[in-house]
Amino acid sequence: MKERSPFLVGYLDNETNQSALPKSSDVVIIGGGLLGTSLAYYLSKSKVETVLIERDDINREASGTNAGSFHFQIALHQLTPNMSESEKRRLADEVRLQVDAASLWDEIERELDADLGVHFDGGIMVAETEDEMRVLKEKDAIEKEAGLESHILVGDEMRTFAPYLAPDLAGISFCPREGHANPLLVGPTYAYRAWQNGAHFRTGCDVTRIERINVGGDLKGRRFRVVTSRGVIECNRVVNATGAWAAELSSQLGLRIPLGLSGLHVNVTEPREYFLKSMVQHIGRRLTLKQTHNNTFIIGGGWPSREEKFPKRYSNTWSSTAGNLAVALRVLPMLADVKLLRTWSGVWAFTKDFKPILGESEKVPGYHIAMVPTGFTLGPMVAQMLSQYMTATPGKGKLPSEFNIDREVA
Amino acid sequence: MNTDHDLVVIGGGPAGIAAASTAASFGLRVAIIDERVTFGGQIFKRLGDGFDLESPEALGKDYARGARLIQELEQSEISKFNSTTVLTIEDNQIITSHPVDGVRRFSCKALVIAPGAYDRPVVFPGWTLPGVMTAGAVQTLVKTQQISPGKRIFFAGSGPLALAFSAQLIKYGAPVFKVIESAPFPSPTKLLGLLSSIKGNWDLAGDAIRYRATLLSHHVPFHYGRIITKAEGSGRVEAVTHARVDKDWNPIKGTEIVEPADTLCLGYGFFPSHELFRLLDCDFDYDETRGGFTVSKDSWGLTKSSSPLAIYAVGDGTGVTGSYSAEAQGRLAGLHIANHLGSLSTQERDRRSKNFRKELQQRNDFQRAINKMFEVKQGIYRLAEANTVICRCESVRAKEIDPVIDSTCDVSVVKSYSRAGMGLCQARNCQRQIAAMIAIRHKISISEIPFQTPRMPVKPVEIGKIADPSIREEKYFIQ
Repeated sequence: MKERSPFLVGYLDNETNQSALPKSSDVVIIGGGLLGTSLAYYLSKSKVETVLIERDDINREASGTNAGSFHFQIALHQLTPNMSESEKRRLADEVRLQVDAASLWDEIERELDADLGVHFDGGIMVAETEDEMRVLKEKDAIEKEAGLESHILVGDEMRTFAPYLAPDLAGISFCPREGHANPLLVGPTYAYRAWQNGAHFRTGCDVTRIERINVGGDLKGRRFRVVTSRGVIECNRVVNATGAWAAELSSQLGLRIPLGLSGLHVNVTEPREYFLKSMVQHIGRRLTLKQTHNNTFIIGGGWPSREEKFPKRYSNTWSSTAGNLAVALRVLPMLADVKLLRTWSGVWAFTKDFKPILGESEKVPGYHIAMVPTGFTLGPMVAQMLSQYMTATPGKGKLPSEFNIDREVA
Repeated sequence: MNTDHDLVVIGGGPAGIAAASTAASFGLRVAIIDERVTFGGQIFKRLGDGFDLESPEALGKDYARGARLIQELEQSEISKFNSTTVLTIEDNQIITSHPVDGVRRFSCKALVIAPGAYDRPVVFPGWTLPGVMTAGAVQTLVKTQQISPGKRIFFAGSGPLALAFSAQLIKYGAPVFKVIESAPFPSPTKLLGLLSSIKGNWDLAGDAIRYRATLLSHHVPFHYGRIITKAEGSGRVEAVTHARVDKDWNPIKGTEIVEPADTLCLGYGFFPSHELFRLLDCDFDYDETRGGFTVSKDSWGLTKSSSPLAIYAVGDGTGVTGSYSAEAQGRLAGLHIANHLGSLSTQERDRRSKNFRKELQQRNDFQRAINKMFEVKQGIYRLAEANTVICRCESVRAKEIDPVIDSTCDVSVVKSYSRAGMGLCQARNCQRQIAAMIAIRHKISISEIPFQTPRMPVKPVEIGKIADPSIREEKYFIQ
């Protein structure tokens, strides 16, 4: 058995939920998920005055409710049979981005001096049918070209490598770089380290309005007034890191951010003796399956849950539970007598092109958005990029143009 | 398998049986579901397989009353489903699991939920040692299997339960050597208060006197105003420590007594099982004397929830008031449902309900007076030390929960940061203790601290029992 999950290195203090909101700050980050907390960390490390406000508690939505997988391999929803060359090139670009993210995750536990349950024990993608096997091989080729190590295994080779899998699968690919971390620890640890660096946090603080002030005035002056349930704060720069709610907030400033929303279902089981080192996914069905270092199994993969309005949680459905577990059993039959303990769900926000929205609006200078569809994998890296942009000499910072926040504004 | 009924009753204790039998007597198609192998609930639990009963009267009038209720159920046309665990309720479907038959879905026009209550967990140093048992567990062992868990049983508890259970155990031959009760000896004012509601409850008062007599005749001392503070031993209980309490049940230093014991039986009352009501998003009230949060309902048991079904809540799972009250609540719900579904006129419903209503009123008044007398005080939540395990499933200690509580009042946040409440018991053991720790730290009332987010399944279930390969997902996220 592996050791049990560590606790957080530290917790935000009473000030977070009790003290009044500061009157002003250089940067106000709205949203205490992984994007917001990691950005607060990188900004505060560069001595930028930062206040993060969150209407609930830190890490409560997608950042804490996802299954903690690193999606370095090409995601299932990106793949279609008979892909064109340009589609393949686009996917290869994305894989390169994921490879960069992997190096950040390599370093994160050292950077934050904390055990975050980061594991790079590889990822298995299974194919049940010959059709799926063909897509798996195409995916493998794209990944290799982009510099992500990957191996295809079939027959006895597959059965020896992963004896716990159903023996009649058509084949698997194995990506040694893939892994996972504990999503319950990463965001709060970033928050705690940011707080140690001097960033301020206010939870239970709901933004009701963002107003522009001093429009066209001196760049050094305050440009926004953020009105919250706990008072008013003026700031020079705002970062909208509210994930699934990014569009709602941006519309107040006349910006249209078309986001798709979907509820994702996750299952967790009782603990069993540790044996499953690698995460398991399915190329043709919705499945992610991993054993955590608390020895429980987390089973997800994108089955839907019902949308509810905040503050209610998206509700789980029976069909997603029974369907998702059936896919898991097809791939790992030995889980049949393991008990399902609980289900939960989180909201997943995505853009039409699945690329992040990252940067400063040209229409509303000083207003930034940080939103990533594969937020857990890419969140910290994207936050680091935005922090570099925000700490560069004005006009000198650069972000990838395909992440441009005005690109989707109709 | 999918079965359709007018009424589905979840829970086969006195409240559930009464509701089902009453509704069925007016010709409704009724199904009753219970997770145990036999009906009767915890109170009317019968002898296990292989035991013969020579003289039922030796087991007292409760046994006879239970036998009558169970007989009423058995002789009816009601479809009976034992060993059937409800996993979730979604739209108008009740989804259950059976160890052999697997998933079974029920649909109905009205639903009665009578989930019962479970022993209140008490957290103190040593509470997770083998040999520390709840009264309900000891009762089950003694009553259904005729096994005593130890040779020297110390009983710590409060309220009618402490007296009744300890006396019952002694009667069944279990070697209880001492009983402590946390509440003080009842004051004359409180006894007078009790007298004012004694009408219709002479039987219960008589029971209490008989229980006390049992203890006396077996020379088992019964001490008021003391609480359990520690259990110690290597591998299992070898000694227990108890102390005198102040009016808030805080142990008084210097009054500790250590005694050898091999079993510690705890009977500090019950918590209602309200998981299903929470899943259905029902409204809740707070009443410490009935076990804390209780589902809101009208005088027939009808709740307000987000479900399209008419949902009735009856019995101790809706606030602990005992088995007589539970049965009366079940009868009233059965009458209302029969009327609601057109099998009984309103006039007739009201006529038949009169006696049950009177019974309910008298039983509840008396129970409330008793519960008030033995009301659990905050000291019960202050027994843990820094190293005491709070969440026994995940082995999370008080000192690991304390720092999280500084910055949050949300038990779900405590859960996600510390893992407390994530384990096999689905937080049944630790969630009120954690809520109380938050309440004490932030100087607010425990009634202001909501539950963690309800999630299905309501009970853990094997993956292989519920996985359904016929359910297919849409191929991709976005078509």
